[in-house]
Amino acid sequence: MSGVDPKQELRIVGFLCNWCSYGGADTAGVSRFKQPTDLRIIRVPCSGRVDPLFVVKALINGADGVLVSGCHPRDCHYSDGNFYARRRLEMLKRLLSFLGIDNRRFHYTWISASEGARWQQTVKDFTEVIHKLGPLNIKREA
Amino acid sequence: MIEIGFLKKENLQAFLKELASKYTVYAPFAEEDIVTFKPLAEGKDLCLDRPANLSPKAVIFPQCETLFKYSFSKKEDSPDKVDVKLEETMDFEDTVIFGARPCDAKGFTVYDRVYKDSDIPDPYYIGRREKTVIIGFACSSPSPGCFCVAVGGGPADKEGSDILITELLNGFVLEPVTEKGKALMQSSLIEDGKASLQEAQKKQEDIKQKVKNPFTKTGSPQISQKIFNEDEFWEKALSKCVSCAACTFLCPTCYCFNITDETRLKEGERIRSWDACMFFHFTLEASGHNPRPTKFHRFKNRVGHKFVYYPEKYNGVIACCGCGRCIRYCPVSVDISKVVDDLSETNAETNLTSNGGKA
Amino acid sequence: MSMEMLREVVKKVLNEVDVVIGYTEGFDKIHATPLFINTHEQVEKLIWSPICVHNLTTYLPSLKKKVGVIVKGCDSRTLVQYMQEGLINRENIKIIGIPCSGVISVKRLIKAVDHANIEDISFEKDGKINVKTEKGDKTIMLSDVMPDKCKTCQYPTPVVYDHLVGEPISSDKPKESVYGDIVEFDKMTLGDKLNYWLKEFDRCIRCYACRNACPMCICQDSCIAETREPHWISQRLTTQEKLMFHMIHAVHLAGRCVECGECERVCPMGIPVNKLKRKINMDMKDLFDYEPGINPDDKPPMYTFNVDELKIKEHKIG
Repeated sequence: MSGVDPKQELRIVGFLCNWCSYGGADTAGVSRFKQPTDLRIIRVPCSGRVDPLFVVKALINGADGVLVSGCHPRDCHYSDGNFYARRRLEMLKRLLSFLGIDNRRFHYTWISASEGARWQQTVKDFTEVIHKLGPLNIKREA
Repeated sequence: MIEIGFLKKENLQAFLKELASKYTVYAPFAEEDIVTFKPLAEGKDLCLDRPANLSPKAVIFPQCETLFKYSFSKKEDSPDKVDVKLEETMDFEDTVIFGARPCDAKGFTVYDRVYKDSDIPDPYYIGRREKTVIIGFACSSPSPGCFCVAVGGGPADKEGSDILITELLNGFVLEPVTEKGKALMQSSLIEDGKASLQEAQKKQEDIKQKVKNPFTKTGSPQISQKIFNEDEFWEKALSKCVSCAACTFLCPTCYCFNITDETRLKEGERIRSWDACMFFHFTLEASGHNPRPTKFHRFKNRVGHKFVYYPEKYNGVIACCGCGRCIRYCPVSVDISKVVDDLSETNAETNLTSNGGKA
Repeated sequence: MSMEMLREVVKKVLNEVDVVIGYTEGFDKIHATPLFINTHEQVEKLIWSPICVHNLTTYLPSLKKKVGVIVKGCDSRTLVQYMQEGLINRENIKIIGIPCSGVISVKRLIKAVDHANIEDISFEKDGKINVKTEKGDKTIMLSDVMPDKCKTCQYPTPVVYDHLVGEPISSDKPKESVYGDIVEFDKMTLGDKLNYWLKEFDRCIRCYACRNACPMCICQDSCIAETREPHWISQRLTTQEKLMFHMIHAVHLAGRCVECGECERVCPMGIPVNKLKRKINMDMKDLFDYEPGINPDDKPPMYTFNVDELKIKEHKIG
């Protein structure tokens, strides 16, 4: 995967919960925190809405990385959606490498609506990791 | 001009290579113990000692094929209108199927009546069919579940093959069946095999005796309409069916398909893929109604299509070649030959009161 | 265990239920087939031997009757899982358990005799199998042609039953060995693992035998693999689509798979599909100390949560 143009934009899909992380991304935007532009955000009502298969489907069909972010544990707008998410996403994180997909390509975290700076740092760091790993092409790696 | 050919065993690879210079050659190869028809390539294990797990039907009737591509764009002169562009995807290669079992080869003749010689010929099927030469390979021993002799075929039946090969100890006897087959025999590797023909025919006859006929009372499928239309029969005979499509997808004579449009933003493809009457979705209607809601209805259709409806339409020809794959690889060992035997006229009086269709 | 005892029990159970599901001879000597018994005469057709490989509980959720079912240790775990998820009414089920010391894998047996046609087979008490083939006779050890699940079986005696036919046996296999092959596989490089799966799944013909035979695949006719809306997978025959289907199967069984191995056994293309599910189960054991199909009062781990998860640590990026 060497020889990838570091400036080349890769495809990172982000699933953000409506109540915290999407707000956090908004806060980062309003505060004019600069971020890399590889991430495409999909807003979901709750991190509990994120079926692990969303992540699998994205990775199999051309995404190079997937980021899921929800409210901090105990802060879920629906009280326990992110508790379920945590279990499912942890299961997936461990399964991906068994399948042969580097599990650094998938990250899940918790970011509140006020944490604009934390959002900015997360996007920066995650994008950097994905760039280091290069594009994921399931077909090509075969 | 050689009428009967002979190919020495040590020349088989060279012969296949020679074919591969002009044709895409599909032959049975084993991978992890599973034998499927794949394009010829170095380093693969040719496997001729047992029938392939998957029949070669996909070579002519692919499990999934693009019928055409389409794209949408705004009309240049009036941007409020949409322009649709279609792109043809008919490009077929000269192909040889090497090592098809006589049952596999016969399967294509079942398709021919529907896709080639019908009122509505299918250009995709015909395109591939006409460019394909089938080299059949006579069986040297029947596998469990085989019953070709009971449905009008045989382990050395020539129907559907362009050349039939019979394996002898030191080589292969090649009997051309069609003009296409004869043309393929123009190879320096093929010697005159007239002297071995008798030996080959004897072997063919011997093996034919070994194939079981499951229709013990009737010798051939004789379906009683009375039992066939009893729901109770199917409920008893098929309780164990799990309604998957292993039987249909492995079957050399199943030809049902599905058509779907796979669209991505402004472009897409119309694709045709195998479908199976064992799936609930096969007959599910847009209204939500399903005329075949249970596995019993669906299996009745499978048996009906092969042993009743198809023969009614095509002069009594049965749409089953007796390859036995659906029996061998069924998750729960449903035996279609047993089911058909239980449906026979001779059972019409007694069957329902006893234990119809039970294995 | 004797056949007479089994037949006696089945006859007794048959008086209380509409149908008893057991095994009978299939189309040849190495294939058994499920037998649905409605009458006392049919009881005579029952067989029991290491060719009785099927997990018969798979029929239960869709049968709206009183049912008796013959189970091995591994199959019985399905019943417990059904109870956890409310998929069966325990009162309508009579469970006939048989302690089992291992079944055959038909695929492995056929391979062991080099694909020669098997004309007869007999099983001896000490685990020897005498096979008569068209190419001569052979003696094989059952342990050499078992499916993987038997090699590490922890529950040879059913974990739940109404009648037990035969003496209970306890497992002599170390508990640590259960996921040994999974740990070993996971040591391969990422590239090797991905290539392995792409090669295996490439053979998939999407017949969905694995799904339909799976006792825990309860969506059946509403499976998202076949819906157009949502459009999870298309009809295209690419390896990606096949991989996606098998991930759907695996992820939907997370913390629910009882490892009966039916998916793998029924695959006509010999794809080791149970591996993915067992990897998830291994993690469920590690993360939540949960083992599917053991305790009817448990809750599947994906149906519940702890506010403080002891084993799940926050991940750093990269």
